[in-house]
Amino acid sequence: MNITNESRRTFLKQSGLATGGLVLGVSFAQHSTAASKLGLESDFNPNAFIHINENGDTLLYCGRCEMGQGISTALPAAVADELEADWSRVSIKQGEGNEEKYGSQATGGSASIRMMYIPMREAGAAAKGMLIAAAAKVWQVDADNCTAKNHFVINQLNQQKLGYGELATLAATMDVPVKPKLKSKAEFKYIGKGLARHNQGDIVTGQLTYGVDTKMPGLKYGAISHCPVLGGSLKSVDKSQALKVKGVLAVIEIPRFDDPFGSIGGVAVVADNTWTAQQALKQVKIEWDLGKNKSYDSKVYKQQLVKNVENPAQVIHQRGDVDQAISEAQQTLKATYTGGHLSHSPMEPNASVVWVQKDSCEVWAATQSPGDIQKVLGKYLKRDPKDILVHVTMAGGAFGRKFKCDYVQEAAVLSEKVQAPVQLTWSREADMRTGFYHSINAQHIQAGIDQEGKVTGWLHRAAFPPIASLFDPSIDRPPEAAISDIANHPFGIANLRSESGEAIAHTRIGWYRAVYAIFYGFAFGSFADELAHKTKQDTVTLLNNLYDGNTHPEQAEQVRRSKGALAVAADMSHWATRKNLPKNQGLGIAVHYSFQTYVAMAVRVEVKGDDIKVLEVDCVIDCGQVLNLDSAKAQMEGAVVMGMSLSLRTEIVFREGAVVNANFHQYPVLRINEMPKVNVHFIESDAKPTGLGEPGLGPFAPALANAVFAASGKRHRDLPFKPMSI
Amino acid sequence: MSQSIVINNKSYVIDVPDDMPLLWFLRDKLQLTGTKFGCGMGLCGACTIHLDGQATRSCVMPVSAVAGKSITTIEGLSETGDHPLQKAWLDNKVPQCGYCQAGQIMNAASFLATNNQPTAEEIDNAMQGNICRCGTYLRIKQAVADAAEEMYKEV
Repeated sequence: MNITNESRRTFLKQSGLATGGLVLGVSFAQHSTAASKLGLESDFNPNAFIHINENGDTLLYCGRCEMGQGISTALPAAVADELEADWSRVSIKQGEGNEEKYGSQATGGSASIRMMYIPMREAGAAAKGMLIAAAAKVWQVDADNCTAKNHFVINQLNQQKLGYGELATLAATMDVPVKPKLKSKAEFKYIGKGLARHNQGDIVTGQLTYGVDTKMPGLKYGAISHCPVLGGSLKSVDKSQALKVKGVLAVIEIPRFDDPFGSIGGVAVVADNTWTAQQALKQVKIEWDLGKNKSYDSKVYKQQLVKNVENPAQVIHQRGDVDQAISEAQQTLKATYTGGHLSHSPMEPNASVVWVQKDSCEVWAATQSPGDIQKVLGKYLKRDPKDILVHVTMAGGAFGRKFKCDYVQEAAVLSEKVQAPVQLTWSREADMRTGFYHSINAQHIQAGIDQEGKVTGWLHRAAFPPIASLFDPSIDRPPEAAISDIANHPFGIANLRSESGEAIAHTRIGWYRAVYAIFYGFAFGSFADELAHKTKQDTVTLLNNLYDGNTHPEQAEQVRRSKGALAVAADMSHWATRKNLPKNQGLGIAVHYSFQTYVAMAVRVEVKGDDIKVLEVDCVIDCGQVLNLDSAKAQMEGAVVMGMSLSLRTEIVFREGAVVNANFHQYPVLRINEMPKVNVHFIESDAKPTGLGEPGLGPFAPALANAVFAASGKRHRDLPFKPMSI
Repeated sequence: MSQSIVINNKSYVIDVPDDMPLLWFLRDKLQLTGTKFGCGMGLCGACTIHLDGQATRSCVMPVSAVAGKSITTIEGLSETGDHPLQKAWLDNKVPQCGYCQAGQIMNAASFLATNNQPTAEEIDNAMQGNICRCGTYLRIKQAVADAAEEMYKEV
């Protein structure tokens, strides 16, 4: 990583920023080298920058995308902390799509903090060093006699002060510190505290602009009806009635675009407002040729997956001899776990504005990956991706869905055809029925147990249409990478075999918050509890024994931290005295490691008949250092809500190739009246910070299933437990 | 004669088809985008506004049906964003993505206008038509309770 002084560069003027003051860029070596090799020095753009104005106003850019996870507060706060900036003087701007400038902007995998924490802090510390050097020059003293505090540099010899604004222009002439010293944990003023989101004032007054909110002169509005089945195509379309509707400009066919993130194909109406477009769309008579996936039925398919995992499948990993271990075992246990498709269903449906002109293309979109918009639109328009200018708006939730940009590519088609900026807002029905769904899945586990109740063998088969099928439709089962979570699980089992069962994709599969950790967490966490009941052991004891059996030095840390989180969760939830719970109540516990973070959860429920009431959830997280304690806590509260939705009720159902669920009445996400009490505890740690957006989901469903079993004796092995019949 | 409507104390002529929901009149015609589109069926509450003070789902309310009435949107809830609910929302750091929050706040404001000492259960009942997918429910409950206390405290 390099930190560069950008104060004199011309691009600042081009970006309309005030000149003067101090501007620092952060860049990764490969980019700067490439730029200088090509002689593009004058065009060189840094990855991110800090701009301190002559009046002290400080602007920090966030290149990672914001969808509610709080990254556009957490990363700038890390810069501001090292900079010793006064947070009230800091404003934050979302960077446009430009990966040369900001580094990877593909915001997923709970990776932002893991990747950006140190570079952001070093940038802040470098700027602080330059401000101190400038002050030292003014006072003609050694820099060691100067300290920075809350937007001022202080001369320790006489307590004189100079503000950052006064120093900024002089600071810009100082050398950039090569290896700036970072603060110790005790010196942090923002990191690890609970700063409010920088944009919450705009949220509560309705001023924040989301993907659906972009307005501009000449804007036209679109509505779209998609091909209901993956791989289908348009057979016939009668546009005549729709074209008669007042305010309708065009009815446009959008063919399937051959890119994993491209449109599935559809017919759209462009009108002078969204309502007219939506109404006219109903007047378009469309016939689809549904193609080879037209008989896809997710209920039937799930049963097929069960067969595929209850029979020998393709061996992926083995250690020891699992067949021998099971045949020689004192006791054996087997179970099959399943789960349905899920739709991300963020509150903001897919929406963007695209304006394609002869020599430019501008996009305003809620997105998790502006770089993919550039690539896909570049491919569609046959232009250089760099020529696609992507303004990243706040996303009204995303959960993985807005990583894909089919909705943006469709808006580009419409804009190109009507030669105007077009805002395409998907209906809720389009959003629910044209997804990149979480995989439907089945897993089968068989275990051998010795006389002491120790697990000696573990056979684990999984079958689910993998995300890889989106990129290569010939992939007919989970590839090794998607199965490796089984062999890499930190349970220490001497004899283990993982197998991959056939699972051909009949719809588009995508990343959903926590991805495969949802069902791997469910199977591992539930089966451990089933083993404990089978062998009449305490689940926490059994889990600890399973971890202790792992002697692999590379997994020592995973074992230690998993057990650490589990112990605190057991303590918080009064696990030891769970027998004293009132009648009909039960406590369940699970721990799961995913996205480099450890989460243990204990769930307390009350079960009466079919009614499952979640009363309280204790969450214990070890994610290393916590950047923002409040939004970290919010991520866990959110994981509980999403975990309850997917554990109890939500499932996307396919029949005759198409999604049946239309809107929230058929996809009953959790509402406020079912919200349990949630207690969140972070393990105190100096380890490097890891992500939090996803890992809260892994342990929730198994902890809930285990609690329901404890309360009622009923074992749920299929997610969701209480599917709606639609 | 064309009909008109009062929105945030300002009068507007209704110059759109009669059946257009108020939501789209607000968003596409007046560019008041604080009121959000979520489901189009009155199921999620993201589009909640006040119709003569009463919380109403603007996505299923034809604009012609509210001609002559007075509408308040999130932009008009308070002059400077200092309604007790807005303040309680900030104090409790409620929003994550924030998309549903305008609807949540408008719904809560109408509820608290008629209930000065809500119990937790009453808050649940009043707010269960508003979906939050990020999962801010615990904080919404607390913020509504805090705002009620602030609004009705004995002076």
